[in-house]
Amino acid sequence: MSDVILEGRDLKKYYPVTKGLLQRTIGWVRAIDGISFTIERGKTLSLVGESGAGKTTAAKAVLLLERLTSGEILFEDRDIYKFSKSQMKAEYRPRVQSVQQNPWSSMNPRMRVRDIIAEPLVVNTKQTKEQIRKRVLELLEQVGLAPNQADYYPHEFSGGQRQRIAVARALALNPSLVVLDEPVSALDVSIRAQIMNLLKDLQNQFNLSYLVIAHNLATVRFMSHSVAIMYLGQIVEYGDAEELFQHPLHPYTRALISASMLTLPEDAEQGVEQIILKGEMPSPLNPPPGCRFHTRCSETQDICSKEVPEMKEYGKQHVRCHHVVYR
Amino acid sequence: MSEIVLKVEDLHTSFFTRSGEFRAVDGVSFHVREAETFGLVGESACGKTVTGLSILRLLPEPAGKIVSGKITLDGTNILELSKKEMRAYRGAMISMILQDPMTSLNPVYTVGNQIAEPVRQHQRIQDKNMVEEKVISALRLLRIPAPERRLQDYPFQMSGGMRQRVVGSIAMSCYPRLLIADEPTTALDATIQAQYIALFKDVQKETDVAIIFITHDFGVVANMCHRVGVMYAGKIVETAATSTIFKAPRHPYTNALIHSVPRLDRKDDRLYSIEGQPPSLLNLPPGCRFAPRCPDVMDICNEQQPQEVEISEGHSVSCWKVK
Ligand SMILES: Nc1ncnc2c1ncn2[C@@H]1O[C@H](COP(=O)(O)OP(=O)(O)OP(=O)(O)O)[C@@H](O)[C@H]1O
Ligand SMILES: Nc1ncnc2c1ncn2[C@@H]1O[C@H](COP(=O)(O)OP(=O)(O)OP(=O)(O)O)[C@@H](O)[C@H]1O
Ligand SMILES: [Mg+2]
Ligand SMILES: [Mg+2]
Repeated sequence: MSDVILEGRDLKKYYPVTKGLLQRTIGWVRAIDGISFTIERGKTLSLVGESGAGKTTAAKAVLLLERLTSGEILFEDRDIYKFSKSQMKAEYRPRVQSVQQNPWSSMNPRMRVRDIIAEPLVVNTKQTKEQIRKRVLELLEQVGLAPNQADYYPHEFSGGQRQRIAVARALALNPSLVVLDEPVSALDVSIRAQIMNLLKDLQNQFNLSYLVIAHNLATVRFMSHSVAIMYLGQIVEYGDAEELFQHPLHPYTRALISASMLTLPEDAEQGVEQIILKGEMPSPLNPPPGCRFHTRCSETQDICSKEVPEMKEYGKQHVRCHHVVYR
Repeated sequence: MSEIVLKVEDLHTSFFTRSGEFRAVDGVSFHVREAETFGLVGESACGKTVTGLSILRLLPEPAGKIVSGKITLDGTNILELSKKEMRAYRGAMISMILQDPMTSLNPVYTVGNQIAEPVRQHQRIQDKNMVEEKVISALRLLRIPAPERRLQDYPFQMSGGMRQRVVGSIAMSCYPRLLIADEPTTALDATIQAQYIALFKDVQKETDVAIIFITHDFGVVANMCHRVGVMYAGKIVETAATSTIFKAPRHPYTNALIHSVPRLDRKDDRLYSIEGQPPSLLNLPPGCRFAPRCPDVMDICNEQQPQEVEISEGHSVSCWKVK
């Protein structure tokens, strides 16, 4: 049996760009434009890319917060768009939960932590008050908070503690897949490590699958089993995380790794050079023809501006580039 | 070695509020030389921005006050300058790139007008053509393509990276001796951030400007700074050359910070992590501020504040464990 929990096939989401009083559509933002990926049970897939790449749009599609323009999402081999309303409510929504980037804005300040964590249980289950009370205490313990903190309000917690509360809430219904949109980027450095370790521990303990959205590559290497690098709505490189970080094949992946690498002054003196990309990110309203990356690529050739490169397989990797050097 | 541009000695800055005195900066000392970048690194609320604002004497009034200390710029103690003299210093001698990118550009003025203002005010140039020439050369210094055509643009017409270059042009338009850059790259994407840092290194080579680079990102520190001061709860706990900070940190807090950041050049299974969080400034521990979280804590750490010790040339640490 395949151990894939969720698969996205050729997902597209086009947002209309409108103008004037009549809201006439004058174009489309291709926020995601034909992306495919699989998430394995108990494993982490990360979507990485710079601002506007389409990461959040992909995550929203999985969480059913956006209706796709086209494409299929298979959950445990079943097409979720063919689910009935009641199947959706019983078999999909509770099993796919999320943790938002900002632990400050994602919580009602007037609710006690106990009620914030209990909310999904109250809405989705028929558990008794006593069962819910017990479950909340269990969840608090699992995320490293003390039982007496259940009666506090969100403002009485630090950013890291609030993110723990958000994780506890996401785990309340025993989900199989958790979508984590920039789970640590709003936190302080010394707190990030605590949360990242916690997320890993919980994954091992409950065999959780994660879809992580992140722009920090080092965080991604720490968290992920597989990685998809996104650029302007497309995946340009996809595959095994370690393979990707050790042998990046797409020029954009290489530039991104180089830009995020810690280069000490003496490394620079010894000739470790950073790849500095030219130009800016083009508008997703009007992406460049051919390979979308060709306007910033240092290795661009004639064909790159003319033909759209197909996604091709190289060992464990999938790359969308006309001139991959692979041995 | 090149000349010292700025020297900060035992700076204390507090906010006096109804709930008490917040000692945001509590005895900070460091210096920056010509053509040198000094990194001020630390977690949220440790006092980095307040240190920068103190040097500019731009603290939010009336709550914020410099309580004591000495700030010397090219030999002049700027804390003794009158408000009017200080105004002349700002812009001409020191400028700052503010942390909040939304406040640094005015959305209703063109880019050209926003750079022209400090040129007129601080360089006292009124001639229209000369002002325009200065504005264009400031845009060119920050490698803004086709600067002549950018003058009439509004900030919203530019990408985040270009806007941040305009902010840099404004700060550099009068060729200051000292530039305080407060998290200028935090909102930028990785590849744009790399462009910006490379650019600032070039600008520094061309102008010899001394830079205080405020950040919480150790990757940025490594790529940009010659020397670093690590701040914790209002104090600098360790100062050293960048590579020393990374390779031989001596303060347990510096050590923890460096080892808790995941690495891109290897696969870690677990991150080093310190429990707890920084103390409240209203309720500081009597001894070392890091003692409640320190893995190496001793009795004396909870009782008395450690003094700064220079353990080798240019490497100072405030920790009871380090002699
Ligand atoms: N509701 C919307 N209407 C129109 N365009 C949208 C909408 N949501 C997103 N977009 C556009 O789709 C593109 C992809 O956006 P998305 O938020 O998925 O990017 P992202 O990779 O998450 O970026 P970031 O790192 O900035 O969060 C962007 O160009 C964005 O402006
Ligand atoms: N106007 C103010 N009134 C009262 N307290 C203030 C004020 N401005 C700053 N503080 C306090 O001073 C301390 C230092 O703040 P500062 O802005 O220097 O932190 P920082 O190191 O720049 O943090 P960040 O990385 O979040 O920008 C904080 O505890 C902050 O709450
Ligand atoms: Mg996003
Ligand atoms: Mg600040």
